[in-house]
Amino acid sequence: MSNDALPAACGLGLRAPHVRQVLAERPPVPWFEVHSENYFADGGPALAALERIRAACAVSLHGVGLSLGSTDPLSHAHLDRLARLIARVEPALVSEHLCWSGVGGRHFNDLLPLPFTDEAIAILCARIHQAQEYLGREIAVENVSAYVVFDDSTFPEWEFVAEVVRRTGCKLLLDVNNIYVNAMNHGFDADRYLAAMPADAIAEIHLAGFERTDLGLVDTHGARVAPEVWALYRKTIARIGPRPTLIEWDVDIPEFAVLEDEAATAEVVLAEYHAVAS
Amino acid sequence: MLSLRELQRCFADALLAGEDAHPTMRVAGTTAADRLGIYRRTIATNYRNALGATYPVVRRIVGAGCFHAAVDAYVAIHPSRSGDLNGYGGTFGDFLAGHPAVSDLPYLPDVARLEWKIDEANLAADSITDPDSVLRALAGCPGDRLPSLLLRVDATCRMIESPFPLLRIWQVNQPGYDGEMSVDFAAGPDRLRIRRERLGVALERIAGGDFAWLAALSTGANLAAAIAAAQHADATFDLGGGLHRFIGDGTITGILDGPLTGASGASD
Repeated sequence: MSNDALPAACGLGLRAPHVRQVLAERPPVPWFEVHSENYFADGGPALAALERIRAACAVSLHGVGLSLGSTDPLSHAHLDRLARLIARVEPALVSEHLCWSGVGGRHFNDLLPLPFTDEAIAILCARIHQAQEYLGREIAVENVSAYVVFDDSTFPEWEFVAEVVRRTGCKLLLDVNNIYVNAMNHGFDADRYLAAMPADAIAEIHLAGFERTDLGLVDTHGARVAPEVWALYRKTIARIGPRPTLIEWDVDIPEFAVLEDEAATAEVVLAEYHAVAS
Repeated sequence: MLSLRELQRCFADALLAGEDAHPTMRVAGTTAADRLGIYRRTIATNYRNALGATYPVVRRIVGAGCFHAAVDAYVAIHPSRSGDLNGYGGTFGDFLAGHPAVSDLPYLPDVARLEWKIDEANLAADSITDPDSVLRALAGCPGDRLPSLLLRVDATCRMIESPFPLLRIWQVNQPGYDGEMSVDFAAGPDRLRIRRERLGVALERIAGGDFAWLAALSTGANLAAAIAAAQHADATFDLGGGLHRFIGDGTITGILDGPLTGASGASD
């Protein structure tokens, strides 16, 4: 089993309801991503299934609980479990979020927003360094959707994200849907955000569906990718070239074929620019 | 400007306060307080779903509405301390024992405790079993050293004892069960072994002496102490029968420690 890189093709987020089908039918999915914490167990059928899938294709480990932006100490227990999982599945990429999840020992197990300040950049950078050193490898960090912005922020989000990546030299997992959701909720130009992203650092792209509510767009990961987000994705690929792209779907999980159908849409865009690149 | 720590504490306080509470940190826009509600709802849903996956029988017995209210109350008292949600909720059974809304279901806490152990069995380390080598190692152990022997129990093995007919309650609440639903609540007590086998987690009733013996071994008691516990539960406890049965079916996977180590290795 080699440490395969993620191909510049559209992978799928592997969720529990589809595991049996994937193992039985072996659909031609170029790579899978899983939530790291779902495989922190010592053993058992879920981990065994992941190891079988990993034997067939590249896997990306996407963490949702490290709380990189918290002012609590980074959890060594969490990093230990992640390191053990990394040793076990030899993922192509390990990623986390530019957010915090808890404070004062209490976890909310959600992706909470940071103020875009020098202090937050310094704390994030120190902890990304710490995590990378602990794990002995580079990680990618993802921009998150946020429903509030803080008056204390002194940078626009895109400068904040770009600065963290620049200072740490880590990779960027660019969530195009999150850019769109934040642009709509907070009234900025998504193109401007996109233009500020460091193209060379983008190791993966996320796509997912949101929900329109009275309070704005909510990043539910429970619907098809919106047409506006597909348009933004096309612009992204036109600018940076084909990159590993992922369809995420976490609530009201549909038939596997629906995910494959979404991936096919992404593949059309990728093929267009693969042709340009070659 | 608040420090990041102060801001995070304010944000956490605002999440924990009711829907009407306004955040003390400054957030832009008139919808800020409402927008915090998006986080509150997402967080509540995450915990309801996570515990719903761990406790499907409890959820089925009490219904979604009652279950969600119980989870919300549990989270308020026993908040998550880890970024790994899969390890959260181990004390839900104890919590239910004091939760007024389910006080008419005295067996419910034990159902929850059983479901937690099933979850643990699902996530425990895989073990390799070789009954013959364990039996050989045991046979080669000098008699005077047997009392202090520690036996290694399969990491997926859990034991539970309840005054209620727990296995029956669990079985009639499984998806796909279409048999007779009635439960004779006077049919307890149940003593169960929970263990992950090749096809998934299996539950089995274990008689009193064997149960006490295995339960003692799995909590680290040496052979002499485990035998004493077994004889206390059942004066006719048959050690030879227990050893052959539970080594043979892979519940006892080796000799953990002591003067002699079996082919399956020393302490780990």
